[in-house]
Amino acid sequence: MAAKPGNYDGPGPLRLLTQVSLVQARRRVQALAAQSRSLLLLMVVFVVGYIVFSFGTFHRALRFLGSFPGLGSLLIERLLFLLFAFFFLLLLFSNLVIGYTNLFRNRETAFLLTLPVSTQTIFRWKFLESTLLASWAFVFLIAPLLGAYGLHNRAPWHFYVMLPVLVPLFIVLPAVFGSWLAVSLARHMDRRSFQLLIVAALALFVLASRFWLSPEIVDDETLETRMLAVLDRLLVRTRFAQHPLLPSYWLSTSVLSWLEGAMSAAGFFMLVLLSHVLFFGFLAFTWMGPFFYEAASTAQSRASVFGQWEWFRQWRARKSTFHFSSGFVDKCVALLPGLRSDVHALIVKDVRMFWRDTAQWGQTLMLFGLLGVYIMNLRHFTQQITNPFWVQLISFLNLGACSLNLATLTTRFVFPQFSLEGKRVWIVGMAPLGLRRVVWTKFALATGASLAVTLGLVALSCQMLKMPLERTGYFCFYITVMTFSLNGLAMGMGVLYPNFKEDNPGKIVSGVGGTFCLVLSFVYIIGALLLAVLGSPWKITGPPSPWLLAATWTGFALLSLGLGWLPLRLGLRRLERIEI
Amino acid sequence: MIELLHLVKKFGDLTAVNDLSLVVPKGEFFAVLGPNAAGKTTTIKLLTGLMKPTAGTARVAGFDVQTQPLEARRRLAYVPDFPFLYEKLTPWEFLRFTGQMFRMEEKRLAEAAKELVARFNLEPYLRKPIDGLSHGTRQRVAIASALLHDPEVFVIDEPMVGLDPHHARVVKDTLKERSQQGMTVFLSTHQLSVAEEIADRIGIIHQGKLVAVGTRDQLRQQSGSDGLLENSFLALTRQEANFSEERAKFKTPEPAAPLPPHGR
Repeated sequence: MAAKPGNYDGPGPLRLLTQVSLVQARRRVQALAAQSRSLLLLMVVFVVGYIVFSFGTFHRALRFLGSFPGLGSLLIERLLFLLFAFFFLLLLFSNLVIGYTNLFRNRETAFLLTLPVSTQTIFRWKFLESTLLASWAFVFLIAPLLGAYGLHNRAPWHFYVMLPVLVPLFIVLPAVFGSWLAVSLARHMDRRSFQLLIVAALALFVLASRFWLSPEIVDDETLETRMLAVLDRLLVRTRFAQHPLLPSYWLSTSVLSWLEGAMSAAGFFMLVLLSHVLFFGFLAFTWMGPFFYEAASTAQSRASVFGQWEWFRQWRARKSTFHFSSGFVDKCVALLPGLRSDVHALIVKDVRMFWRDTAQWGQTLMLFGLLGVYIMNLRHFTQQITNPFWVQLISFLNLGACSLNLATLTTRFVFPQFSLEGKRVWIVGMAPLGLRRVVWTKFALATGASLAVTLGLVALSCQMLKMPLERTGYFCFYITVMTFSLNGLAMGMGVLYPNFKEDNPGKIVSGVGGTFCLVLSFVYIIGALLLAVLGSPWKITGPPSPWLLAATWTGFALLSLGLGWLPLRLGLRRLERIEI
Repeated sequence: MIELLHLVKKFGDLTAVNDLSLVVPKGEFFAVLGPNAAGKTTTIKLLTGLMKPTAGTARVAGFDVQTQPLEARRRLAYVPDFPFLYEKLTPWEFLRFTGQMFRMEEKRLAEAAKELVARFNLEPYLRKPIDGLSHGTRQRVAIASALLHDPEVFVIDEPMVGLDPHHARVVKDTLKERSQQGMTVFLSTHQLSVAEEIADRIGIIHQGKLVAVGTRDQLRQQSGSDGLLENSFLALTRQEANFSEERAKFKTPEPAAPLPPHGR
């Protein structure tokens, strides 16, 4: 009856899975090209543009840092160590989150576990998949930087040959450790304790960065007379990035030694990295299968971890008496005057869904939390930042960082909202509320919530930079319009490119519409920032001519209407003939 | 062919499967019924090795699914209520993939696929990506791919979901035919008529226990009701619910799970 394995001479399971994955990826690209060639072209232009732009920016930044006499190369070197140490931590975190989802919350994994494939092979496949998903952005970020660094140091040709070997080696270690952590967490923690751990880890990370990297408070006199001592103290704080047991140290030292021509040192650290990759990679590839299966079974079988404790049981027992009353969110939303009951219900539902989705608020907290910590730290610099050029530059960079964070979140969370609602069309779509009002309510809620954060951060940034009221008002006005536009763009594109088949918001975003929305968001931000700089009445080169002022303001208005209001308008019009 | 021996599965304080023992011999068509949250899906997960039991053993074709998982899975096919399919593959590519995962010879794979494609009327869809197919067609693809390697044990959860009456008939006939040829079928459903029509024996799971097992007539006798299977089902689950309630009221120690006599 069952297949005889001895007669089979086809590819092994890992190769089969790779083939299937490649075929699926090729079909997705083909579907994208078939749907819109211009969109595909736009994406290619965007990727190439990003590489060229970031390469140029990194090269200029390195030239600037290198121009400090006697300190330039030391600063660059230390920054490289710091950068790779942070990337190592980010890769570890990213591998942990993606690995956990891919191993324990994935339908393909459950399907493969019923096939005659060893758990070790399934783990290998999921490990490779998670590593790729978690690390591609790192390669995308690091490639122009290392290219610029090589050019800055007039690196020999073999430096560029060595990089594609060294960087993938570096990626393997956080991937292995991340997958181990994911398996251990699934084995021992439930969803609630996992959420608490992630929040605690993030808080610890933010606090540690604040403590270790808080800037040195120095007065002008010290700065003039004891510059080297101050710099030394600053550099001591960053010395943790040069711990010889950190994989990022091996990578950084190998890169630096290669550029200095110290080939034996470069080779040595490359071999250190390789030996660790081989050792830990071998363990992951040959030992982790049974642990993974054990964890997968436990993750499905477990009741609450907290349920072991008596106080938690008592608390649950107290809560088990149901009172049929409105909840906390309900009461808060009820404070908003003039809301129809159906709109009220929709807002309460969306707030609750957001709060109960760890991925949503975790990412929001991380992105805006880090930006908040950075802006709070600006107060330490204000004594040094007196030059109008730096004040101008930092204020615009803050505006850019804030809007980029917002664009990431609107694309990730606002864009899929309509598609997800369409899936539940029998509730919301069939209610007398009407889809048009659903879209407006979601837009208003997303814009209101994001405006509270972006406006707050930009106002705080202006306050830290001790900007006068009229300039604070200028930036606040700008971020308000940008918040409206980015939310309108994401909401409108979500209606124009719906995906009612998919339950997973991540997959909805990774489709044509989501990618298009992200590209357009970045185009909007770049355009809006350029116009803001050109039209700033406080330019160092003197105030712009009235014509330029009028042109930039008109341009900003048109850009915001074209990329914010228009997609929303088109989306609302599309609702009239939408078929779900 | 399927042996479930004193299976227990606990989720913290909750016992989802409570000392469940059952033997389904080769070639039998066994249907398992039960109210929502009775423990049917957990039992299937234990049988297919997706979960480890807290206690007890599950065997497929004589192989323990925990200690000899590959041998067991090679002889097993499982179709869940919402099966996973690679969305961007075509049905033919998916069938081929499944056959290769079961290490089928190329010639045998092609012959088996041809036969199943004809039987489940999948020819018009063979070149179309799965993500464009209707729910019913996907279900047919999933069932055909699971039958491809000629499994000795076939486990299926809610097989008729999304199927039109014509294809529901095809599925029922195919499974019955295969079981007559020696394939053991373990089917979980809420559609009592399906169980009544094609199952050799029916088991009723309630609150994690196998409260009754037997042929339709034996179930009628056990429940003391006559007529449709629905009456027996309602009577047996109500009896068990009342019994549990009484037990909770008087806080009597829990008796050992009554194991009704197996047919055959």
